[in-house]
Amino acid sequence: MLNALKRLGIGFLLWGVTGAGFSDVVVVMSAQSPSTSINREELADIYLGRLNQLPNGAQVIPLDQTERSPLYEEFYQGYLGRTPAQIKAHWSRLIFTGRGQPPQSVPDDKAMIEAIANNPRAIGYIDSENVSENLRVLNIE
Amino acid sequence: MEPPVLFTALTLVVLAVLWAATFNFITRERETAHQTAAALAADVADTYEAQVVRALREIDQTLKLVGYELRRQPPQQVLDDLGMQGLLPPPMLFTIEITDAGGGLLVRNNDSDIPQAKADTVPESVRSAQDMVVGLPQRTGHDEWQLRFAQGYRDNQGRFAGVVSVLVPAAYFVSGYEPSVMGNSGVLGMIGTDGIFRVKRTGEAISAGDALDYSALAQEDVDANSPASVQSNPWDNTRRYTIIRKLYQYPLAIVVGLSEKEQLAGAHETVRLYILRSAGASLFLIIIFTLLGWLNWRLQQERKRVMEERIEHAKQVEYLAFHDSLTDLPNRAYFSHLLTENMQRVHRYERHLALLFLDLDRFKTINDSLGHDAGDELLREVALRLRASVRESDIVARLGGDEFVVLLPEISEAEQVVPVAEKILTAVAKPFELVGQEFRVTVSVGITLYPGDGRDEQTLMKNADVAMYHAKELGKNNFQFYSEALNTNSLERLSLESSLRSALEHNEFRLYYQPKRRMSNGEVTGMEALLRWEHPELGLVLPMQFIPLAEENGLIIPLGRWVFKTACQQNVTWQQQGYPPLTIAINLSARQFIDEHLLDDIKLALKETGMDPRLLEVEITESMVMRDLQQTIQILQSLKQMGVRVAIDDFGTGYSSLSNLKQFSVDTIKIDGSFIQDIVRSQEDQGLTEAIIAVGRSLGLTVVAEGVENSDQFEFLRRHFCDEFQGFYGNEPLTAEDFAQVVWKQANQPVPD
Repeated sequence: MLNALKRLGIGFLLWGVTGAGFSDVVVVMSAQSPSTSINREELADIYLGRLNQLPNGAQVIPLDQTERSPLYEEFYQGYLGRTPAQIKAHWSRLIFTGRGQPPQSVPDDKAMIEAIANNPRAIGYIDSENVSENLRVLNIE
Repeated sequence: MEPPVLFTALTLVVLAVLWAATFNFITRERETAHQTAAALAADVADTYEAQVVRALREIDQTLKLVGYELRRQPPQQVLDDLGMQGLLPPPMLFTIEITDAGGGLLVRNNDSDIPQAKADTVPESVRSAQDMVVGLPQRTGHDEWQLRFAQGYRDNQGRFAGVVSVLVPAAYFVSGYEPSVMGNSGVLGMIGTDGIFRVKRTGEAISAGDALDYSALAQEDVDANSPASVQSNPWDNTRRYTIIRKLYQYPLAIVVGLSEKEQLAGAHETVRLYILRSAGASLFLIIIFTLLGWLNWRLQQERKRVMEERIEHAKQVEYLAFHDSLTDLPNRAYFSHLLTENMQRVHRYERHLALLFLDLDRFKTINDSLGHDAGDELLREVALRLRASVRESDIVARLGGDEFVVLLPEISEAEQVVPVAEKILTAVAKPFELVGQEFRVTVSVGITLYPGDGRDEQTLMKNADVAMYHAKELGKNNFQFYSEALNTNSLERLSLESSLRSALEHNEFRLYYQPKRRMSNGEVTGMEALLRWEHPELGLVLPMQFIPLAEENGLIIPLGRWVFKTACQQNVTWQQQGYPPLTIAINLSARQFIDEHLLDDIKLALKETGMDPRLLEVEITESMVMRDLQQTIQILQSLKQMGVRVAIDDFGTGYSSLSNLKQFSVDTIKIDGSFIQDIVRSQEDQGLTEAIIAVGRSLGLTVVAEGVENSDQFEFLRRHFCDEFQGFYGNEPLTAEDFAQVVWKQANQPVPD
């Protein structure tokens, strides 16, 4: 666990330094949502099915891209520090032991934007170029 | 019990108890660990079984749901609708595939690159089966396996229309493997009743497809709740708490195994700790007991040593009690014991023994001149020589002083003693080295034989003593056998003593008178009264032969009185007969001199005879004077008060100092005859005599020379102004009649001036 956290910390650091140059994946919520930022650990917990509330008490529903999307790996690698295989293994264990279901997948950014814009509780990730007005990019702390 | 045995036994008992307890703990620990592991395996199996069954049911339901929907809608529509409604399992893991009756792919809910089932390979088993068919695992990538669950679906007319499949990564079914519970060597898996593993996971390693003899593995009769048994798993030969349980609805069995090694590792560690602790405790105990044992042993040794020392001391004391400390020979007491013992033994076997009584001849001289240390040294050396002169079986003892005895315990005749005695004489006579000087001593030996010379110890010893004295009389440095004759000789001595007692009564004593003459003109100035004993049988006996005897038995006192009275009476008689008054000198013996009645006796004699005290002179020897100076001074002063003169006899042989002479109020000194004898030849004697004369004159004493025998001596003395002399040159001792003649002649024949 300690090792995992460490790895997470180092990943965050790398992203913080080099992040500006990428065609980035950004974490977004509806503009109607009061949240403006999210803790990296909270984000990981939400996407790994360990958390379904934001710190302010609001319920949160994570949405995922499909595995075929290039954003998929970028997101999990960049924000959660995990490979798709690890994610798969994680959910495999959770599903098999009956402890949870993975986030719902949407086919592409367009579907993601639609789903999030109309649901203040939804959270997702898209290419930063596709950010629209009805979305809010969350600051990652 | 001996302490070493006791300590060893105690140690063994304590160790036995310790190790028995340890092994009991170990057994219980192992048993507990075993039961825990077996129960854990059963728990894991229960959970796993439930999870597998649920997962299979979900897949089964999906297949049935899709099959049912396919009767009403085309395949793509079915998947889209069901997907939208969330009725399909997450596409991340589950791929749903629909084929037509010929096996051709119609649709897939995700476009993963999973190889599709070939159209002509729709197996008859699927085609005809009512239930879900579990396919064989298919490799999809490196270490990745896929499981296909398939079921045929029918159209509205009930005809076989195709196959719905759910494709799942085989790893899904073993994702419940918890390393924290099952370790790195546990096993979790699913095996078909056909004996082919659909999936199997150990640690992080996942495999599938290996075939086993299912019937050999399966334990159909095993109760679902029974704990796992340990068996060696045939696929990797690892011993595990293994449970293989057939699933109720499906042609599958779950495989759960916990590595025995891992599960019991904790217990092994605990056991190791127990053994380590016990070993430590054992070592500690052994050290403690060894230490205690050692201390105990030391204590015992110490006690033993003290005991031995006491015994040794007792032996030493006993030895000292029976041995002479100086020479290490048996002492008188021990010898007496040995002699008695040997006499008894000899008597019993009718043998003889010889007793040699030894006395060193000049020991006293050596002891006096060289000191006691030298004397002791000499005695030690003599003891060694005696010991070396006889056989080991002979006994040498020291009776005390310079007296030794030798006991020859086994002889058959007297002649055998002679060589031994000669050997002893020779051995002793060899020169000694004492305080850097060479000395010679000799020994006189008296020999008695048992039983001939005495039947008891006392007689035997006494007779040996007599024989020894005889040897001394015969010139010393010889040995003499005891004989009856020797005893007769000593009997004569006895008769002398008894006759001495009666001699006074029988009037056997005589007084002789030796004139003293003046040097200058040869005139008789006085006389010395000399005592003789006219023994009826032995003839004339000289004083030196009976005076010691008389001193010994006390006869000297009445004898002394007789001498005083007789001498004074004689002197008075001569005066009454008209002779000129002459001094008369009388010798005092040592015992007389210290007799408290001496003065009274002299007074009485003077009173009874009426002799002028000034004519009486008593002669005492230097040695008598020196015995007790205070007493001597007192006696001499008393004599002086009475008017009696005092002469020192044998002057020059003792050690009187000049101051003493003055104190003693002496009137006369008599130069000993021994000086006079060699006066003509010996320079030394001349010097001494001159000195004595000079001293006497300077103190105003009369100096008398004794034993003057010839004219040379006479001339020397006259030249040196000696006052008077006596001796054969003048007259020998004379009877009273002869003396009167001499004086008469002198009175009528004037001597030239």
